[in-house]
This record gives sequence, C-alpha cells and structure tokens, in this order.
Amino acid sequence: MNILEINNLVKDFGGLRAVDTLSLTIEEGEILGMIGPNGAGKSTAFNCIAGVYAPTKGDVYFAGKKINGVKPWNLCKKGLARTFQIVKPFRSKSVLYNVMVGSFVTTDKTAVAEGKALNVLKILSFENKKDERAGNLTIAELKRLEIARALATEPKLLLFDEVMAGLRPAEVDEMVQIIKKLRDQGITIFVIEHIMRAIMALSDRIVVIHFGKKIAEGPPQEVASDENVIKAYLGDEYVVS
Amino acid sequence: MQMRASFAKWRSLHLTFNRDADMNFILEGTINGILMGSIYGLTALGLTVIFGVLKVINFAHGSLIMVSMYVAYWAIIFTGVHPYIALIIVVPVMYFFGYYLQDIIIKPIFKAEKDIREPITVIIVTTGVWYILDNLTLLIFGPQYRSIQNNPLRGKMLEFGDMLISVPKLWGFVTAVITAFAIYWFLQKTRTGRAIRATSLDREAASLMGINQFKIYNIAFGIGTAVVGISAVTLVPFYNIFPSVGVLFDIKGFIIVVLGGLGSIGGAILGGIIIGLIESIAPMFMTATWAEAIVYALFLVVLFVKPSGLFGVKYDW
Amino acid sequence: MTRKNINTSAFILLGFVAFGLPLVLRSPTYLHIIILLYLYAYLTTSWNLVGGFAGVLPLGHSAFIGIGAYASTILSLQYGISPWIGMIAGGLLAAIAGILIGLPTFKMRGAYFALATIAFGEGIRVMVENIDNLGPLKINGPRGLQIPPTHIGFGNFMFAGKEPYYYIILVMLIGVLAFTYFISRSKLGYYLNAGGEEPEAAMSLGVNVARAKLIAMAMSSFLTALAGTFYAQFTLYIHPKSVMSLDFSFEIAFIALIGGRGSIAGPVLGALLLRPVSDFSRIYFGSTLPGLHLVIFGTVLILVMIFQPRGLQEPLSKFYNTLLDRISGQTRQGEVTHEYS
Repeated sequence: MNILEINNLVKDFGGLRAVDTLSLTIEEGEILGMIGPNGAGKSTAFNCIAGVYAPTKGDVYFAGKKINGVKPWNLCKKGLARTFQIVKPFRSKSVLYNVMVGSFVTTDKTAVAEGKALNVLKILSFENKKDERAGNLTIAELKRLEIARALATEPKLLLFDEVMAGLRPAEVDEMVQIIKKLRDQGITIFVIEHIMRAIMALSDRIVVIHFGKKIAEGPPQEVASDENVIKAYLGDEYVVS
Repeated sequence: MQMRASFAKWRSLHLTFNRDADMNFILEGTINGILMGSIYGLTALGLTVIFGVLKVINFAHGSLIMVSMYVAYWAIIFTGVHPYIALIIVVPVMYFFGYYLQDIIIKPIFKAEKDIREPITVIIVTTGVWYILDNLTLLIFGPQYRSIQNNPLRGKMLEFGDMLISVPKLWGFVTAVITAFAIYWFLQKTRTGRAIRATSLDREAASLMGINQFKIYNIAFGIGTAVVGISAVTLVPFYNIFPSVGVLFDIKGFIIVVLGGLGSIGGAILGGIIIGLIESIAPMFMTATWAEAIVYALFLVVLFVKPSGLFGVKYDW
Repeated sequence: MTRKNINTSAFILLGFVAFGLPLVLRSPTYLHIIILLYLYAYLTTSWNLVGGFAGVLPLGHSAFIGIGAYASTILSLQYGISPWIGMIAGGLLAAIAGILIGLPTFKMRGAYFALATIAFGEGIRVMVENIDNLGPLKINGPRGLQIPPTHIGFGNFMFAGKEPYYYIILVMLIGVLAFTYFISRSKLGYYLNAGGEEPEAAMSLGVNVARAKLIAMAMSSFLTALAGTFYAQFTLYIHPKSVMSLDFSFEIAFIALIGGRGSIAGPVLGALLLRPVSDFSRIYFGSTLPGLHLVIFGTVLILVMIFQPRGLQEPLSKFYNTLLDRISGQTRQGEVTHEYS
C-alpha cells in the first residue's frame, strides 16, 4: 500500500510558487530519492509533508489519512519522522539524552526510554559516543545523531533532508549502508540528496524536481539518462541526441 | 502624579462649569497631552534606535534618562545658562557614555552569544547596569528631589484663547519633532546612518560589506543615548530629578517602542503621543492609577495582536 | 567509600544541619533571616521550572506570590477557612492565571516575552491597588490586609515562635527541590529542555513544545503561590507593593540567573550567596549607604553574565565533583548525563 501520497501539492510564498502541482506516491518499504537543482523546491515539499508549512493547495496522505496542516509533533506520533538539512542537535546535552527525547514518543518512563535509545545507538554503531556532549561532535557524527533521534521515534516513514551534505566520500558510503539497514528493518525512506553517488546507490526510484515541478520519475538509471533532467542540471548543450 | 496636581490647579481657575469651559478643558488636556506625549516619544526615540539596531532590550534605558537629567541639572546649575544651552554639554557626554557602555559591558556578551538571535543575557546585564546606576546615584547624590527653580521656562504658560498651554512642554514638542527628523535624515542620508540600517537588517551581510558591526553597535548605542540626553534636557525645566526617576520612563519607554514599532522613528513619537493623551485625558474620567492600568492593557493588546507595532517592520518573532 | 556513598552522606549531613539548626541558633532575628533565605530559595527554584527549564525569562512571577497571599488571607479573614486550604486554593488560582498568561506569551520570542510578563505582573498589581472591594471580597487596595495574630495553632497556620515557620519552609524547600529533581529526569523535563534549546527539532521529535511550557508554567505558578501564603502567614501583613512588586519579580529572576538557571542547585546557591549579601549590607549600611546592596547585586550580575553565563553553580559543581573524585578515587560513570550545566 502507499505509505505516502501527494496529490497536486502547491505551495506559494506570496507571489513565489515554490512547489507546483507536485504529485507522487511512495510504497511501503521502498526508498524514494528526490533530486533537483538548488532552489527547486525540494525542502519546501518536505516541509509541507512534515507539517512545518500548510499546503496552499493539494493534499498529502500518510498511510491513507490526510495530513494537511497536522502539526509536526502529531505527525511524529503517527510515525512520520524527519531530519534537518542544517543539523539541530541539543548541543548542551549528551548524545544519549538527545536520542532519548525521540524515544519518549513511545513511552512515558525514563528508564524505558533510556533502554530504547541505547538500542538505537547500537543499530547505528554509535553507542561509544553516548555520553559525549552533542556540541562537541564532528559534522558526520552530528548527521548520525540526527538519524538516531529520528529513528528513536520508531517511524514508519523517514524523511532525510540532505543528510549526506558535508560528509567525506567514505562517510557517505557508511551512511548509505546505514540507510539501507534501516529499510531492511521495515522503514520507508524518502531522501533528498545532492550527492549523486549516494542517491543512485540508495534509491529504488528517483523523482526529479525543477522549479517546483516534477520533471522525471523512475529507476535511477532511467532518470540519469533522461533528457529533461540533463537539461535542468547542465543546460541544453549537454543533451546528447 | 505631576499631571494631576497641575490639572487641579488649572481646574480651579475655571470658575464656571458650562459646556464651553468643559470643552475647552478637554481640548487643553488634549493639547498638553500631545505635547507631553511627544516628550515621552523623544525619550523612547533613543530606545527604539538601540532596540531596532541591536535587537536587544536595554533595561538600563530609564537609568540613562536619569543620568542625563543629572548631567543636565549640574550643567545648568554650574553655568547658569538657559536649560537648552546645556545640550552642548549633555549630548556629547551622553554619546560617549552610551558608546563606552556598549563597548565595555555589552559587547563581550554579544560576542559570546553571537549565534543566538535574541541575547537574553544582554537584558540581564543591562538590568545590572540599571541597578548600579540608580543606586550609585542614590549613594552619591542622595534621595532628595532636585529641580531647577529659576529657569526661564519653569511654570510658564502660553495663553491660547481660554486655554493654558505649558511652555516647557511646547519647547519639548518642538525639540522632539526636530530631533526625530534629524535622526531620520541621519539614518537615510549619511554613510554611517546607512551602515547602521544595514547592520540592523542583517548583521552578517553588513559585515561582509566591510562594516565593522561592533563599531556600528557602539555608534548606535551612543546615538541612542545622546537622544536620551536631548530628551532629558527637555524634561529638566519642569520635571523633578531624583535617583529613581528613570524607572517611570523605563517601562513607559518600552510600551511606546512596542506600540510604535521596533526601530520606527515616527512610531516612537506617535506612540509617545498616544501614551501622553491617555495620561492626560483618562484622569478626567477615572483615577490616575486606572489610567496606568489602561496603558498596560493597551500594551498587552498590541503585543498579542500586532507585535510589530503601528509602524514596525514585521520580524519573525 | 564509593563516590555515590560520599555524595549521599553529604546530603544526609546537610539535612541534619538544616533540621538541627533552630536547636542551636536561638536568636529569633537570625532565624528570621534564614527563614527568608529558605523562602527565596524556594521561590527561585519554583521560578526555575519556567525560567530555567523552559528557557524563557519570566519577569512577573511576583503576581503569583500575590495571588497566593491574597487568596489564603481573604479566605481566612472573611470566611474563617484554614490558610492551609487557602494555600491550595491560591495555588490553583495561580496555576489558572499562569496558563492564561502563558497561552499568548509563549508564542513570543525572548525580549517580547520578558516585556509581556512584566506588563502582566505590573498590570495585576495596579489593578489590586485600585480595588477596595471585589464583590463580597475585601481587598483594600494599596493599604493591604493585616492578619491579626490571634488564633495560634497549626490548623490556623499561626505560631508564636519562629521555629515552626522555619520547619515549614524547610520542608517546602526540600519538597520543591525534590520535585524539580524528578521533573528534570522525567519525560516533561526532557521535553522542556529540548523545546527550550531547539524548538523546531523538538517538535519534529514528537514534542508539543507549547503544551510542555504551559504545564511547566502551571506547576511553577502553583508552587510560587504557596510561598505567597507562607509569606502572608509569616509576616501577617500583605499589600501590593510587598507581595506583587516588580522588584520582587526581578530579584527572584536574577538570583536564579546568578546561581544558574536550568540546574537544580543553581537557584538555591544563588539565594544562599546573595541573600546574606543583601541582608548584611542592609543591616550594616542601610542608613549610611542606602542602596549599596543593589549596587553590589548589579555588579555581581554583570560579572557573572560576562564570565559565567550559566551561573555560579557551574564552577561550584565542577569543584564539588572534583572533590568527590579525589576523596573517593572514582569518577562519574555509567550515569546518563542529564545536565552539562
């Protein structure tokens, strides 16, 4: 069944149309990638799904239920989690504390939350840093923390907003493995990314956005050779035909 | 409160209570309220510049007014000049006072909290400055009320038909308007002024343009405090001077700035006039302290309904 | 001895000292000073639930003290209801007021929030000063209410000597500290910290930040009001300038800030350090150098904010922990680190 369905989503900011009649669906258990030039409207679309913005027009359905304008914390409780492009750790607290905040979605007891958080850290091979102050982590570790926190909320659908940005190639490969592992656990993943090697390796399907509109959709290889996509990224001169 | 005693005196001069006299009375109150209000606006003008540029609440604002009044007082007493001549001394003194206050005490906090949008610590620090200034003044100069008795403006009234208009307040009104225009011109037309406006809009972008943001903050604070000095000079001819005189103006200042809008010059003057009007008209219908309550209520309404004020630029507060 | 044992022993020793103090210290003047010290520690700790944990700067908390004081006093003077019950009634009233104030103000950012709380605090004070009678209730405006020291007894919350007051406020203080401790380690505590530090991230992690703040505010205002009743029963005279003043609000906030808001020990430490300063300078310099204690206050405030913005409890607790490490030969291990400050 479709875990996420977007119908003709439109988001306007005053006179600027950031997302233009976007429609897509995500099947349970798949990894959908979204790419597009900078400013194409990817993060805006994410924010409309994640409850940060209310759509100007169109509908968003999560697990069959309409979620237009539902607040982020309620979405999280329903099983929709996200990370932020610019990481937002609770810097003065430890890694474990950070993750526990997420764990509290599923429990009221601190001891239980602690246990769950430790489990999450183990899955991400991160438990050695559990007492480290979040403000002292490297960028790669902070990105991993973002994922850990979101994972702790036990989501059905995870939205990753450029979670590879700023990572070295080796770290990117590591992250790809982690995300694949998460899918194997049964979590559906929707990922925005700029780093091609990552998104090609990860995605079952890719959606390409340009000026707020969907210009291509399909398996990675197909999309990579799609004329419109090449035009959007590199300009007309590069189309081979 | 000052106003009430004066009104009682004026009221006693109106021997007949017919409709014309009452209308005159209200008109008189309105005019004097506008005049006094413009002075309030002038006191808040410095605050709005500082608030608008540095985005911080300067809780020491009232104390700066108090200090300026003492400076003006001593300047006038020792030289015996017309109060407004004291501007020559008060303005530069207060400019540098504000400049160095920002430089020495507030800047270190700013640097430490660079990433934080609204540094709460600055609020706390300026409150510390307030406590120190008010109480040092108390310690050094004592609690007694001072006033400049023999000055050319004190107690003078202008007769306008059947109404009596306060002369020192009229001078204050004129000064307020002139100062407002001067500051506006400065911010719009001069290089430094534009730098200040740039910094207030986006301090990082401004610093990339070669503007030293901390120097700008110092200058802005200096200018704001200099304007406070001007307002003090307008007050000194008719207002009492004592260590905690600033407290009244402190809260009023913030209310005016919020009413008129962060960083808006016209807003500050207009906000002040609104407060002045409420203060002079409301006591005709209720006790002075209920008038105070109205001011607070109005303040809260503005905060909730239109926090950017009458003329303020909308921030994502 | 293990580290944990030493820590626990220290607390037990402290408890002994606190409870045994009135047996040793017979002077009512000094007892009075210490009672007020505990009262301030209680007030700052209650304030901390909003001002520390929720990450905002409320500067109008004395309104809740006033609500508590007036509620219990009116109920006991006019209707003969025991102040203990009045205390709870005042607390509930304050909690409602706190929620009503919090609803619109928590949406505002730092500076505006602070101003709004000041306006609320002052607005309430001005209203009480203007009202002589609110329907059947006698409020007496600026003259305030006096409690005649007639019916002595526990049920009436009235005692001849200072000692019973000492123990009551001590128990209240310990209670509020324990409460704060448990909240900080509970889901609400985590949510408040998260919401205060990174509200957007917290919201995406399931935290209803606004609701958490309102709950904290309700708790804080309830607890603060209880202290209002204590104050009324202890001093036997309340009027708006004494229980609802801006100075009172500011003093509570700044003691908490100097001690270290957001931590549990901070507010108490602040009170322990600053109240003696203020008492001392008022007693010895009150007539010759009036206002000296406020100059000192202001200077300490500025210095602490520049050099130790997280409050004095940061260096002090580091020192304490180093001490514990040295004595026990162990270090902190295996505990979830709840506060880095």
